[in-house]
Amino acid sequence: MVNSLGEAKEIFRYRELLRNLVSRDIKKRYKRSALGFLWVMLDPLLMLLVFYVIFSGIFGRSMGNYSAYVMSGIIMWQFFSQGTKVASLAFLQNRNLINKVYLPKAIFPLSIVASSLVHFIFSLVPLFIIILSSGTKIGLNLALLPYVVGIVFIFSFGMALTVSTLAVFFHDVVYIYDVLLLGWMYLSAIFYPVSILPQKLQPLMSLNPLYHFISLFRASLYDTAFLTAEHLVLGSAFALLSLSVGWGIYYRNRDRIIFYL
Amino acid sequence: MITLEGVSVKYRIVEERRRSFQAHVINYLKGKRVVKHTLWALSSISLDLGEGESLGIIGSNGAGKSTLLKVISGVIKPAEGLVSVKGKTAPLIDLAAGFDDELSGSENIFLNASILGFSRREIEERFDKIVDFSELKDFIDTPLKNYSSGMIARLAFSIATEVDPDMLIIDEVLAVGDAHFKQKSKERILEFRNRGVVILFVSHDMEQVSNLCNKVLWLDHGKIMMTGETNEVIPEYETYQSGRKRDENSSSPLRKLG
Repeated sequence: MVNSLGEAKEIFRYRELLRNLVSRDIKKRYKRSALGFLWVMLDPLLMLLVFYVIFSGIFGRSMGNYSAYVMSGIIMWQFFSQGTKVASLAFLQNRNLINKVYLPKAIFPLSIVASSLVHFIFSLVPLFIIILSSGTKIGLNLALLPYVVGIVFIFSFGMALTVSTLAVFFHDVVYIYDVLLLGWMYLSAIFYPVSILPQKLQPLMSLNPLYHFISLFRASLYDTAFLTAEHLVLGSAFALLSLSVGWGIYYRNRDRIIFYL
Repeated sequence: MITLEGVSVKYRIVEERRRSFQAHVINYLKGKRVVKHTLWALSSISLDLGEGESLGIIGSNGAGKSTLLKVISGVIKPAEGLVSVKGKTAPLIDLAAGFDDELSGSENIFLNASILGFSRREIEERFDKIVDFSELKDFIDTPLKNYSSGMIARLAFSIATEVDPDMLIIDEVLAVGDAHFKQKSKERILEFRNRGVVILFVSHDMEQVSNLCNKVLWLDHGKIMMTGETNEVIPEYETYQSGRKRDENSSSPLRKLG
């Protein structure tokens, strides 16, 4: 446990590297496209359009603010899924560096999840535009937003550590995780209300961390009806669980990684 | 500054490395177990290096020279033994590993120096000196993909040596760039040595080793063959090597006949 803290301190000592990795990632992603940063905002809007056209007739009628519902789901989902998907390759893609210079290796998955957080923050702009233009007022519940983002970040970092470490020993993990994410997305109530699920299945939703995160996100943005003690407690618990599992897997194997890269 | 006690590093050589679950499951069901050989890349290496000393590490390919450098720089944790290294390390190992093609020279200075563990303030303080030494002022805002390999090497060398290291780790590349810059980089390394910076130098070039190092460690198959003063070890090593060459030459006609 004490040693484990030492590793965390090492990451803090290399915070300048963390900063540089994140800014490199963002610069590189948008340097070549003409619309640059606009894409961060356009992307969820275009997805919203697709979902809206297809599903608003089916689910929209029974719900208050369908576009805010879908958009918040999409953005929160992408924060988690994009970050952890890219992070699954964190050690494999940086093998050159890991092989030559000493570094606290966890800095690679951490920087990828942090980049994803930056994109998430930018994509809040179109989300607020959608919410405000649909006539919903943003209230005091917005104070909950930093907490929600914090637990999703912790959850994602734990997941990124798990997947990236396992991927070093079994390359298949990268592909398996891809498929898993696809299924997971459909199970996360992004574009449909939970009430359409069969009564028996509804309680199972509480096993899905993303369902809690997305609900809390919606609660902080536009509808306090989503705010329940269950979401708060289970959401936080899943975040801590994910971090302990991920950190445990990484920490136990961190000195073995180099022999498998 | 550097103390190693009984350091051993083992690589597990897996007969055929299975990286997929499927292969694992199938082989498990067939009752095959993974065959593993243990290769001791280093076995019971001890060494003690104080301030101002420079150590040349020599030996044939696969002797464990680079592995030893990796142990000292902290990249590899040894399976056995103790490693204690004090002070700041500057690795001159394949200098360009930490660069990114699409970023400019100056962005790469920040990236690369932070890989070496430096804070923003420390990098900013040294930025101008790094650019000056590399002689790349006119290209510093150009993306690295437009640099020649010599220019990249110059930039990397300037970063690694402008950080005031207590210890310099050099794997083969002593001097980089054109003749002029080669001279400049050699001089800088000699200047480090005279200032008391500990130098670890892996090389096959005995002349360079003699010029730079006061001590030599001769490795063979992960074991220390000999260690001591440069002028004692290098003649022994050269006699051994030429003896080996003679053996090969004398046996080769026979092999051809057979």
